[in-house]
Amino acid sequence: MARINLNRICARLGLTAAVILLLIWSLGPIYWSLVTSLTAPNEMMTGTPHLWPPHVTLEHYGKLFGASSQSQGNEVQSVWPQFSAALLNSVITSAAATVVTVLMAAFGAYAFVRLRFPGRDTIFMLVVATMAVPAYTVMIPLYRLMISINLIDTYLGITLIYVSAFLPLALWLMRSVYRSLPISLEEAAWLDGAGRTYTLVRIVLPLAAPGLIASAILTFLSAWGQFMVPLVFSPSLATKPLTVLIPEFVTRNYVDYGLMNAAGVIAIVPPVILVAFLNRYLVRGLMAGAGK
Amino acid sequence: MSHFEQTKPAPGTRHDVWLGLGFAIPIIVIMGGLVFVPLASTLWDSLFRIDPMRPGTPFVGLQNYAGFLTDPAIRQGWYNTFVYVVLAVILETVGGLGAALLLSRIKYGRRWLLAALVLPWCLPPVVNAIAWLWIYNPSYGLLNGALHAMGLIDQNIVWFNSRSTALFLVTVVHVWRMMPLTAIILLAALQSIPQDLYEAAKLDGAGPIKCFRMITLPLIAGGLAIALSQSTVFALNLFDEAWVLAGPSLDTRTVIIQVYMSAFQNLHFSQGMALSVLTMIVSLIISALYVMRVYRETSYD
Repeated sequence: MARINLNRICARLGLTAAVILLLIWSLGPIYWSLVTSLTAPNEMMTGTPHLWPPHVTLEHYGKLFGASSQSQGNEVQSVWPQFSAALLNSVITSAAATVVTVLMAAFGAYAFVRLRFPGRDTIFMLVVATMAVPAYTVMIPLYRLMISINLIDTYLGITLIYVSAFLPLALWLMRSVYRSLPISLEEAAWLDGAGRTYTLVRIVLPLAAPGLIASAILTFLSAWGQFMVPLVFSPSLATKPLTVLIPEFVTRNYVDYGLMNAAGVIAIVPPVILVAFLNRYLVRGLMAGAGK
Repeated sequence: MSHFEQTKPAPGTRHDVWLGLGFAIPIIVIMGGLVFVPLASTLWDSLFRIDPMRPGTPFVGLQNYAGFLTDPAIRQGWYNTFVYVVLAVILETVGGLGAALLLSRIKYGRRWLLAALVLPWCLPPVVNAIAWLWIYNPSYGLLNGALHAMGLIDQNIVWFNSRSTALFLVTVVHVWRMMPLTAIILLAALQSIPQDLYEAAKLDGAGPIKCFRMITLPLIAGGLAIALSQSTVFALNLFDEAWVLAGPSLDTRTVIIQVYMSAFQNLHFSQGMALSVLTMIVSLIISALYVMRVYRETSYD
């Protein structure tokens, strides 16, 4: 009896240790980034790591949001104009890509599941197959195309590229959602005289809401984190997002880690909020996207 | 109002064709114009010499491809990419399986543990890489600081001075981001295993290791194959982490960084295109191998 209890305690301890290890691995670097962003520059340079800054300071955030800023005692140009422009660009391009992708996937996937039209399955297969085509393979012709139609460094251009990159996954996901919905509800609506579009918007879409949310989260996160596409297609602050701006803080005469970590912390706020509140949908979407 | 609704065409075949096409046409236009045409153009143009710095675009056949064998930078890129893929796939699979097994055992607070687990995957890879860049900092970084505090080193190490260390550290950042995906895919597979199988095995006297080998492993084989193909393809496409941590440095340069350098820094468009085509083909072959494997594994049931 005592032996069994001992075994159970050991198992419980092992499990707890594993959970703690996983939490440190997953959250440790993010926590460290947050701590760094709150540490005064001279305390960052002591070489002895502190689990919590000895004197919490908002200096780095002040540099990001301030009208003027101090660097090593000198008045330097504020980064706020660049930072705010890049933040806005990130929000606009990610939001636009998400809205367009989800709308197209919501209607398109319905057509691919319930409506019969010539070439339907071939088109679906071809579109989904492009998930296997890496972005960089089409990047060079796309760059020349965007230059020729004057869409380089425009919201429209970036959004279109994001949509073409993230639509296949959203379509795939929405198709599996629609296929899992019973057709009897729609048939009942048709018998009552409702048209296809009316049925889709009023009956099918509300039922497919979890799938729509999952597609929206996945698209938003992918667009928000994009680096290589804007590195090529957003040369100026007209559309340059945070992901491209933040690493540029390195190339100044010295690497301002406090500033970079503070900017990074701001950049992870939207994903953290999504994960904290909508994690259920995200995980289910990932499982469905990978599983079928 | 209602009798108007009834005169609408009932969902019939003709109406469906037009509505279906109407919903599909925006997709066809976007995917055609921004993926298929550029893809065809990449394939075609990779056979020419397209270089804004040099006049004319002569047909050169497979010369762009042949150059890969002799260019030392490109060979280095392939070698580095190969190291990343092998290391990342091993670490992500082992770590992801461990995390998935752990999560499947947790009863309380599982939702929050799952959220903590997927978080790295949700963050911009560039921001991750910057957090790690600071951790790896030779003078003030956490890695040196922690090793120092534990008494394991007495002198700070400049991590990126050694090529093999640099490759490993870039891989760690990539694994940190991608392991959650493997873990989630495997968790989904684990959850689909009926519990009574384990109970039956336990009655037959099978221990936990035997249960894992005889029940868990065969039944998650499909998920494992998907996870493996995902981690392989993502490691093959590694760009962000290596770029932020070490820029275009030859020690850590991947094939994709090489594509970017060829095309957008050195303006050898066609060379970049040929290299990207080759990478895509490698990627497709690997995915196809996994998919075929899964198909064979799962086609019995």
